[in-house]
Amino acid sequence: MSKVLQKSVPLLMILPGLVLAITIIGYPIIDLAWTSMQEVSRFGKLSGFNGFDNFAEVFADPLFYGSLVRTGIWTLAVVGGTLLISMPVAIILNDDFFGRGLARVIIMLPWALSLTMTAVVWRWALNGRSGLLNATLMQAGLIDQPVEWLATASTAFTVEILVGILVSIPFTTTILLGGLSSMPQDAYEAAVVDGASGWSQFRYITLPLMKPFINIAIVLNVIYVFNSLPIIWVMTEGGPANGTDILVTYLYKLAFRFGQLGKASAISLVMFGILLVFTVLYVVLLSRNEADAAPEKDVKDEI
Amino acid sequence: MARPFKTATALAALSLGALGLAGAVQAATVIDFTVAEYSSKTGPYFQEVANAFEAQNPDITINIEVVPWDTLLQRLTTDVAGGAAPDISIIGTRWLLDFASQGIAEPMDSYLTPEFKSTFIDTFMAPSVIDGKIMGLPVAASARAMMVNMDLYDKAGVAPPTNWDELYAASQKIAALPDTFAFGLQGKDIETDAYFYYSLWTHGGAILNADGTSGIDSPAAIESANLYLNMINEGLTQPSPTNYNREDVFNLFKQGKVATIFTFPMLIPQIKEEAPNLRYKVLPFPEGSAKATYGVTDTLMMFADSDVKAAAWKFIEFAYSDEFRSQFDHGEGFLPVTKNVAAEPFYTTDPDISGFAAGLPYAQFAPTIANWEEIADVTVRTMQQIYLGQVTPEDGLKATAAQINKIRGL
Repeated sequence: MSKVLQKSVPLLMILPGLVLAITIIGYPIIDLAWTSMQEVSRFGKLSGFNGFDNFAEVFADPLFYGSLVRTGIWTLAVVGGTLLISMPVAIILNDDFFGRGLARVIIMLPWALSLTMTAVVWRWALNGRSGLLNATLMQAGLIDQPVEWLATASTAFTVEILVGILVSIPFTTTILLGGLSSMPQDAYEAAVVDGASGWSQFRYITLPLMKPFINIAIVLNVIYVFNSLPIIWVMTEGGPANGTDILVTYLYKLAFRFGQLGKASAISLVMFGILLVFTVLYVVLLSRNEADAAPEKDVKDEI
Repeated sequence: MARPFKTATALAALSLGALGLAGAVQAATVIDFTVAEYSSKTGPYFQEVANAFEAQNPDITINIEVVPWDTLLQRLTTDVAGGAAPDISIIGTRWLLDFASQGIAEPMDSYLTPEFKSTFIDTFMAPSVIDGKIMGLPVAASARAMMVNMDLYDKAGVAPPTNWDELYAASQKIAALPDTFAFGLQGKDIETDAYFYYSLWTHGGAILNADGTSGIDSPAAIESANLYLNMINEGLTQPSPTNYNREDVFNLFKQGKVATIFTFPMLIPQIKEEAPNLRYKVLPFPEGSAKATYGVTDTLMMFADSDVKAAAWKFIEFAYSDEFRSQFDHGEGFLPVTKNVAAEPFYTTDPDISGFAAGLPYAQFAPTIANWEEIADVTVRTMQQIYLGQVTPEDGLKATAAQINKIRGL
């Protein structure tokens, strides 16, 4: 009896917090799911259950599929690009050199700006006639005609991805830097003694040891970037001709411009599902990999 | 240990009590008024009106909230959905039908005295009438017109055009001038569709046919779209119109880089302030087979859920006094919606304002139909595809008309 009580005490103690967390996280999701199966007026009044009509409408909408594909490209390109750049940046910043503090501040600074402001500044810089970018490129003699960066979907989307990468770098670098500074130095010293090149050190020591940090950076970035509205919204509002719409900009338009709250909540739920599946799959793959490659076992085998 | 806690509790209780007391003392009527931000002058202006009203009616407090146009509809949507709607609000007339059909707008017929009603210009009252009921009062109005840069026209040795053929011929000459664009064409963001309607209407087309179906694929519409497309292809517009929203095009005009634009009266105060040396002229839209301009009104709406309608109406009548209306119209550069202000000499003799007002007898208004925002967005998307050369005007407009008819359930 007392044993049961003892065991349940910790559970009981976290219960209030758990209930609170579930309520706060769960309520909006349940409400969203409920809304997505209703006919909703443009002012959010539920006017009756309509089953999966909203979902049927979403899946019959060609703009939804276009946005879905672009969301995939956007997430992949931004997260991939961010990691590719953040890794060397973090390694450089981890080395001790004169002015490292300043360099770290400069890398982190964009993080302090709101995403919307960054996007507004870029929108100005990319303006075809009066933008800073065209002026610079023309003075450098790289182009002789101003380029209208945001006028066509292909250039606009590319530029937006680059801006997306730029604003994701500070956060990712921070995570990786944290990982690097906790790295055991003796492994490197041993490698240097064995005559390993810089690349081999990176490939066979840094990368494997950094894996958990890279993984968390991937998961968090995918979630943030997948859901990120401000950059695309401020720079092109998903235009021209819906050519830069991703799911979240399309959903925002549906909900707050066209007043189709039912359809918007259906898309929102689909997005939640995609992210959930991604995260669960990723975590499962991860834990399986770790179980396969338990480091102690390897060491024992070699001995 | 227990003492500080007790003290804190006592303090909290005391302050709560004080709050309750304060609430009881100030049991005045509070009117929540959401104001759309036309310019930096809008907020202070309405605050001034509210202060004057409160001075006369100490038992009523006006709570003004200024919201930018871009987020106004979203804001009202969430307010209504959350049960926190204001008592009165300025809205775009194009949204009024949605508000009225959901029972959110309060009909005003029972409040409007014949005397008050007669102060409004009928043309501007008409768009607020839905199913025979007056659902709102016109609060601001503008009409559109063509604006030309006389320096550029003189330099090219051409006269300002009166019809599309003349505009086309003049633009060819002006485009040959160095570092100059002949025709400013908007291709991005809000009202990209309106820039197309200007051409559509003057070519004799209409947004909706008589039977309610979309008129966006009529021969007049295809002709209008082809005209813009030819102007782009021949280099008569600024390059890549899809990168230029309304303000971008107007800025080119202020910089003296573009010779002809279609614009609204609110640009005049801006030009006077930012480009005082610009020699411009306000002219009617070029004619095709018809005369037309775009009349736009905004509406003052009362919410059906409001508990303080009588007080709100009192404030509305107060705010529509000639003195305040005149100050508002002058400050924002609008056309007057009340007869007394319209009769001021300024609105009949000033060449700029009268140039805009001249079109009112044949002004077209955006149709008051449900889902207008979505229909406008579909149209904008098609215009962008046409300007980018992704579809031909014939194919693009045919598909758009079908889509609009589907949205309208026809």
